[in-house]
Amino acid sequence: MNAASTASETRTVRPEEPGKARATIGAIALVVVVLAGGFLSNADWGKLPDIFTEGGKYFSLMLKGLVQNPFSEPYSEYWSAALGGMLESISMAWIGTMIGAVLSIPMGFLAARNVSHPVVVQVTRVILNAIRTLPELVFAIILLLPIFGFGPNAGALALGIGAVGTLGKLTAEALEGIDPGPVEAARAAGAPGSAILRWTYWSQVLPEVLAFWLYRFEINIRASAILGIIGAGGIGSVLSQAFRYREWDFIGILLFVIIVVTVLVDAVSGAVRHRIIAGSGVSDTKVEQDAATL
Amino acid sequence: MTVAASPAAPARPRKPRPSRVLILGLVAVAATTAWAGWEIGFTLGPLLENFSNGWVVVEQFLHPNWSYLGNAWTAWLETISIAVVASFFGVAVGLVFAYMASRVTNRSTPLYRATKWFLAVLRSLPDVAYVLIFVALVGVGSLAGILALFIFNIGIAAKLTAETIDAVDQGPLEAADASGAGTFARARWAVQPQILPNFLSYALYIFELNIRSSVVIGYAGGGGIGQLIQVQFARFNFENVSAIVISMFVVVLLIDQLSQHLRRRLV
Repeated sequence: MNAASTASETRTVRPEEPGKARATIGAIALVVVVLAGGFLSNADWGKLPDIFTEGGKYFSLMLKGLVQNPFSEPYSEYWSAALGGMLESISMAWIGTMIGAVLSIPMGFLAARNVSHPVVVQVTRVILNAIRTLPELVFAIILLLPIFGFGPNAGALALGIGAVGTLGKLTAEALEGIDPGPVEAARAAGAPGSAILRWTYWSQVLPEVLAFWLYRFEINIRASAILGIIGAGGIGSVLSQAFRYREWDFIGILLFVIIVVTVLVDAVSGAVRHRIIAGSGVSDTKVEQDAATL
Repeated sequence: MTVAASPAAPARPRKPRPSRVLILGLVAVAATTAWAGWEIGFTLGPLLENFSNGWVVVEQFLHPNWSYLGNAWTAWLETISIAVVASFFGVAVGLVFAYMASRVTNRSTPLYRATKWFLAVLRSLPDVAYVLIFVALVGVGSLAGILALFIFNIGIAAKLTAETIDAVDQGPLEAADASGAGTFARARWAVQPQILPNFLSYALYIFELNIRSSVVIGYAGGGGIGQLIQVQFARFNFENVSAIVISMFVVVLLIDQLSQHLRRRLV
């Protein structure tokens, strides 16, 4: 009897379930915001079924363009236009990455708290943030088209300016994360400032920075297609023209080339990035996460 | 006697020769750069020759027409609405794909491979390509913008979330397996509570991205502020474009701050 009473006392009461009020209110608020968004966006929701009726038709037209003999007229022209445009896009992306990389080195050093004077750091960070806020398209519209005219040259410069913002910020963050030991050693040995920057700071961040450059190259390939719609050359220009004339078989070929080349370049660049990072002390996932905000 | 002293001072080690891989790599990079520069006809010449052309435009940009912003706010509302709807549905569908694209939650290898491939294809097209496709399907307007961003967001949300799922703590998974949980229960109760903060933070990040890409979306015919910029630019009303660009700067900065504040609380 005594034993039974102690047993019931020690049996713990099941804890009360935590309240769900906050989560419920949050969910309701989210649904209200999304519904309001659906209404305020002025979207013509009645046209939604068109995707399924028209979509299948256009998709089969695109596939038809793909399966034609690529050496017969006019498909041979389509294929060479698509490959030529893609090559131009890749060149734009490469030059843009190079410009961004070269300019981001001094910007990165100027924006690193453990290298530069606090005032310089603040000023540089404001500039980098301003660049990152605006999309490349805006640079192209404002500055480059009036001066350089339409074409891939203006596009490459716009990509370069855009790349400085993100690469400069990531370089600065990498520099701030270095091991201070080698810096102290170099200082104790009486190394001049330039040697300290080159052999202690730069050597430590180089693998990480190279990985960021490659990541940016992958992003620039996509961005170069975007710049094409305002006439900055590359496959984007070809694509928007094909859409204007509704040449669905040509569009199919263009999309196919974009997908295959982008996946291939991503795979190669990704393999090189992993190889570069594998030799350094930095963790692979950290670089991926940092670069995801590019 | 003197012989013993000289080996004690070791000779300075020889400087290693530069590695062949490095030299080859640098040559390859230089060659690619030269070729790419030639391919696009790279030149900085116009900067000196046509600088006055550009300066006329820049001067107009320095005198923004503030009164134009009165017309712009409806376009801003449209852009933000597009971003809200597209990110909500995009990340919701992206979550399902994320579960299918991680070995932790998807134990069927063929399905896992197929999902990975599908997502890689989805991500390889830039957002502007989706806008062009949907403009052709449903006509110019915000519906095309919403649909394009929706598809685009699925790819990003699925990739980021799948990587988080891969790195999840194994403990709850083991517990779920030991109690005989099925695939869905496992994903819902062992994985989802662990990834939820990261997932919500990705959702906010994607919303930010969608606001940023609004210029591109509108330019290609997807509605919102970008469409306004395109119209004003085509009419050479650079004072108006300037006012819109500055307002864009402010809006993006505000949304970034808000979302960073929320994300810091989440993660």
